[in-house]
Amino acid sequence: MNNQEDTLVLLLAGGVGSRLNILVQTRAKPAVPFAGLYRIIDFSLSNVMNSGMRHVGVLTQYKPLSLMRHLGTGEPWDFTGRSRGIKILPPSTGFRDSDWYKGTADAIRQNLNFVRAHPSKEILILSGDHIYEMDLYALVEFHRSKKADITIGMMIVPQSQIHQFGTGITNDEGRIVEWEEKPKVPRTNLASMGIYVFNYDYLLKLLAEDKAMVDFGMHLIPRAITRDNVFAYPFEGYWRDVGTIQAYWEANMDLLKDDPEISPENWGIRPNLESEQLLADRIPARFTSGSRVNRSMISAGCVIEGEVVNSVLSPGVKVGPGSIIRDSIIMHDCSIEEGAKIDLAIMDKRVKIGKGSVIGKGEKKDIPNSKYPDHLYTGITLIGKEAEIPPGTVIGRNCIINPWCKQNCFTDNVIQDGATI
Amino acid sequence: MKLKPRTLAMILAGGRVDDLTVLTFHRPKSAVPFGGFARVIDFPLSNLMNSGLDRVAILSQYRSYSLINHIGIGAAWEMIGRYRGISVLPPYIGYGNSQWYRGSSDAVYQNLDFVQYINPEQLLILSGDHIYRMDYREIINYHREKDADLTMACIKVPMREAHRFGLADIDEEDGDLGGRVLRYREKPENPEFNWASLTVFCFKPTVLYKILEANIKEDASYEFGRDIIPRMMNENLRVYGYKFRGYWGYTRTIEEYWQTNMDLLGPDPKIKFADWNIRTNMEHRGIGDCQPLKIGDNARISDSLIYNGCIIEGEVEHSILFPGTHVEKGARVKDSVLFFKNVVGKEAKLDKVISDVNTTFGRGVRIGTEGKPGPKEASVIGWNNFIKADTIIGSKCIVYPALASEKIPKQVESGEVVR
Repeated sequence: MNNQEDTLVLLLAGGVGSRLNILVQTRAKPAVPFAGLYRIIDFSLSNVMNSGMRHVGVLTQYKPLSLMRHLGTGEPWDFTGRSRGIKILPPSTGFRDSDWYKGTADAIRQNLNFVRAHPSKEILILSGDHIYEMDLYALVEFHRSKKADITIGMMIVPQSQIHQFGTGITNDEGRIVEWEEKPKVPRTNLASMGIYVFNYDYLLKLLAEDKAMVDFGMHLIPRAITRDNVFAYPFEGYWRDVGTIQAYWEANMDLLKDDPEISPENWGIRPNLESEQLLADRIPARFTSGSRVNRSMISAGCVIEGEVVNSVLSPGVKVGPGSIIRDSIIMHDCSIEEGAKIDLAIMDKRVKIGKGSVIGKGEKKDIPNSKYPDHLYTGITLIGKEAEIPPGTVIGRNCIINPWCKQNCFTDNVIQDGATI
Repeated sequence: MKLKPRTLAMILAGGRVDDLTVLTFHRPKSAVPFGGFARVIDFPLSNLMNSGLDRVAILSQYRSYSLINHIGIGAAWEMIGRYRGISVLPPYIGYGNSQWYRGSSDAVYQNLDFVQYINPEQLLILSGDHIYRMDYREIINYHREKDADLTMACIKVPMREAHRFGLADIDEEDGDLGGRVLRYREKPENPEFNWASLTVFCFKPTVLYKILEANIKEDASYEFGRDIIPRMMNENLRVYGYKFRGYWGYTRTIEEYWQTNMDLLGPDPKIKFADWNIRTNMEHRGIGDCQPLKIGDNARISDSLIYNGCIIEGEVEHSILFPGTHVEKGARVKDSVLFFKNVVGKEAKLDKVISDVNTTFGRGVRIGTEGKPGPKEASVIGWNNFIKADTIIGSKCIVYPALASEKIPKQVESGEVVR
């Protein structure tokens, strides 16, 4: 553990993550639950904690309530104390100009008073959207050793995905010489992870240059590359954006592999035990004598009377006798009643599945959701927060059941593949 | 001054209890783990929290570190604030006569300055040793209603076991709720009545102060059950019994401790654990750092409680597993209680074992007398042990904590103690 007194951390947590569909209807992407006990932002926050940085500003914009509740005083990540702190930085009206955040750089520009109140050697800018483990102190050391103005955390990604990223072409010493933002025809496989180290004074100067430059990847980085020292810090290891339903599901399933690349506990990731889930109030998971569980992650407070295979369960999920859950992600306090069958579903918090209902019926996984064909196309069915599925309902593949749908939303007890309720 | 607490709760958490052997070598009984994630003292502490009583003192003497560490700043039970708090009161050296706590009532007597500073309207004295759920507001209300000098919570026990307890003869003054205590006997050989004291006492402080002073001056023993209550009965003070009818788990012997744990299991468990709202300190032993419980392909789990941070690849039946315990492939754990961070190696078979923290059972280790006729009693393994592969240990054995692994023989007969 290093005491990184000299790096201020700004965490961008305003992302909508709209491709996560109803999972982000009531919360920002960083607040989406992940791996049973955690929220996505816990990974970034814990990396910061484990790297010894002590001052964090969290820039929020979209539906920040559950995020704010989750961060609390920052105590779970050791951000309380005389020389430590975490502050939420929402958009605000000012004396002259006030506006929503127009981009990543604009968000920081609007919070220069916070930055000025925390003089430091470097400013580390992170996104709260990603699942990874990284020694950020090593990144800062690298930045210092290269005497860089900017260092960007970058990793090699498959050719097929590179078009979603900012990409950099480096020379032999690791300096970035060319930048392409979301290239259609990529010339490199080195992608930006949205992790930037800036020298403190350099960033202030750069932000002051032109207020029309509101985004790091689109505006500031390309300009800096042409004239300043911008280096790529190569990252190797598990890193996922989980910005789509498919990627989110896959990353959860990665937890269940033998010798998994991802292990929140070994990575030192901390959840907030005292936030509204009240993990601290949960008793151990209970397994009755008729239960059967294989290749799954089960959180405290669950009661398992049925069968669970290849699934991730958050605290307080009740799986009734004779029911089967397979290849699914079930969030806090869902209740699956007797004899229900769940196959390939993501269920938000406090969903109730009535007796004998079937979620994920049939094998037509290739009929995409009719409303959001680019969100759901692999067979995953989404069930929104606190929805109640009446007993005996049969729901197909790639369906969306919106949050708070109750009995009266269901006119038919068969929901076709790709339908939205 | 409205916020000033009217009740001060004091928890007697000093004792070690010889019969729990290796489980209390390094911690007081109140810090013994229970229920898959908690400690025994979490039960009175959570009861206090759920009863809205948040000015608490803990009288500790024996090996306090584990307990003090567990209490932390009291935040786990919401006991921090202007008038809320947990004070740990260890014995101290004073000006003049300083000594260890010589008994439960002496522990309170030696801290009378603390009690008088808080100046509560009633003093609730609890044992830190029992597994139960109680809303203390009910006994306090009864105590105030009766204008009693002492109200003690009692539970009806079978007459044949009654000799182990302090017993009250309660009249029918308030029927099912309680009544005046007509007679009190501490652990009598031939019990005539069977309302056993739970060591939940509600005192009128001014009366208690006088009794404690007299006890210190005139007696040679300083226990609530043996000395204070009989003295109050003799002086014909207003002693009432509050009749408790819930679950009460006694954990004074290994067998009782094991049974009370097992009362959490079964199709209709005696302890409705989820409803009890028991809180523990999630920072103690890093429970808060655990990921969800991970279950492998060939695992089989039935009738068990298992907490976050465990990895189950083998078989677990009718058992309770604390965080960080790993049951490897082919291993089987039955009728057992495994504390934090145990490793049960491949093909190892544990049958009715209580194992303290950080113990590793090597490949093919067998403990218990599974399949053999005759009574089976729990074997207890002390903490930080490494049991070598293929070791065979019978039932009712005790293995001392942190032994060099060559000190543990390859075969330990039932009833043996390895030290």
